[in-house]
Amino acid sequence: MSTMALSKAGLWEVNSRTIVYAAIGAALYGVLGFLINIVIPGSNNVSVRPAYALVPFFGFAFGPIVGLFTGLVGNALLDQLSGYGAFTAWNWSIANGLAGLLAGVFAVMVADRMSTPTTRIVGAGVVAVAATLVGFLFVFTDIWVFGNSFEAALTGSYGWVIVPNLIAAVIITPILAAAWEPLKEAIGR
Amino acid sequence: MNIAPRYLGRGSWLARRDPRTIILVVALVGITVIQIWDIRIVLIMLLGAQLWYRSARIPFRLVKRQWLFVTFFVSLIVLWNTILTGGEVGGFQREQMHVLFHLPLLGTPIAAETLSYGVTQYARFFTFATLGFTMAYAIAPADLGVAFARLRVPEKFAYAIDLTFRFIPSLGNDLQTTIDAQKVRGHEWDKGKGGPIAKLRRTVPLVVPLTMNAIVNAEDTIDAMDLRAFGTGRRSWYRELVYDRTDRLIVAAVVALLVTFTVLGFAGVTSRTYVFPFLLDLAGG
Repeated sequence: MSTMALSKAGLWEVNSRTIVYAAIGAALYGVLGFLINIVIPGSNNVSVRPAYALVPFFGFAFGPIVGLFTGLVGNALLDQLSGYGAFTAWNWSIANGLAGLLAGVFAVMVADRMSTPTTRIVGAGVVAVAATLVGFLFVFTDIWVFGNSFEAALTGSYGWVIVPNLIAAVIITPILAAAWEPLKEAIGR
Repeated sequence: MNIAPRYLGRGSWLARRDPRTIILVVALVGITVIQIWDIRIVLIMLLGAQLWYRSARIPFRLVKRQWLFVTFFVSLIVLWNTILTGGEVGGFQREQMHVLFHLPLLGTPIAAETLSYGVTQYARFFTFATLGFTMAYAIAPADLGVAFARLRVPEKFAYAIDLTFRFIPSLGNDLQTTIDAQKVRGHEWDKGKGGPIAKLRRTVPLVVPLTMNAIVNAEDTIDAMDLRAFGTGRRSWYRELVYDRTDRLIVAAVVALLVTFTVLGFAGVTSRTYVFPFLLDLAGG
């Protein structure tokens, strides 16, 4: 049995636990993202999706493979449920996946500094922010895929997605980490 | 709460195709279109994509909202791109451009090249969306896992996709139970004062219990998989997928299309923006 995340041992191992947590993460992201989003008033349909916080959380708590799958498949599932097709915005799904993957990697990199529950909760927020900022750089591929200029990709793609996702990650990811702390002890993780 | 991908193409010619064919068409034609900037060819691709989409017999009234959103989104992106670049799109320099008019208030020059590029962007976006819609509505949700497995996606990854779709109905029910339970306690996430941050904070009593409950319940699934020795041998699937002759022809055609336009793209034949001659005439060029 592997100890999920925050340890280098078995970080890239794929077993039944990895698969089930990954599927749970992706399904939660799809279901919550489909049903709950908050449109920012005065913006052009920019909405905060609380479900996005699950991507860095699953990466942080269960490792990079789970984070990658949660973001990649969860976003594709969300597009599929919304009726736009899983592959239509494939590069955005990859960006989500990268954010989850990086959350898992960053969590291990700073694991030594997160020895108490409080530092782990704060660390979850910091890791979520860093993973979101770096992972979503992949949406600059809009320059190649859709023919957008750098300025349009920066403001119309990256800026458009990064602000609401950071809001969701900063507020909800640490809360999820705080709820997970006692639970993981209880179920022996 | 019933949450499931809408299988609107059920029974149509396209839905009777092997799901791998639909996935391959979306992926390979998508990669092909990315390489093409000649509007004449993109329009042919869009026409082909529309015929492909029509064969799924998806009722327009059921997907009107999706088409409206795509149109709005594409318009916004194209307009934003044009404004931000000051009309200098597609690698054209201002001195080479044939200006038709300037945007009111902003003064952005709109040239024959700008319009041609914008129309090409539109056509490319709509080709992606049209193909994407077939994947959303013409593949039975239960077939996606096995389709990816048969496309040689790593087996565990394909199984995780299958499992994801299986979790959706139960998570939808759990979400409804959580919403109802919080309502009984007087908490309604979508009601109350405050901006987006306050609304976001009101979703916490839904997101946290739903997530933690799902993680705890996942232990049963993990135990069941371990007891059945998951991952120790090659996995079999109930659903058998078989390509028929039509599927093989379609896949061969899209592979040929990809190869042809990749070669033409590298040769510079289709990778340059085609400027409509009548626009050049209008600009006096």
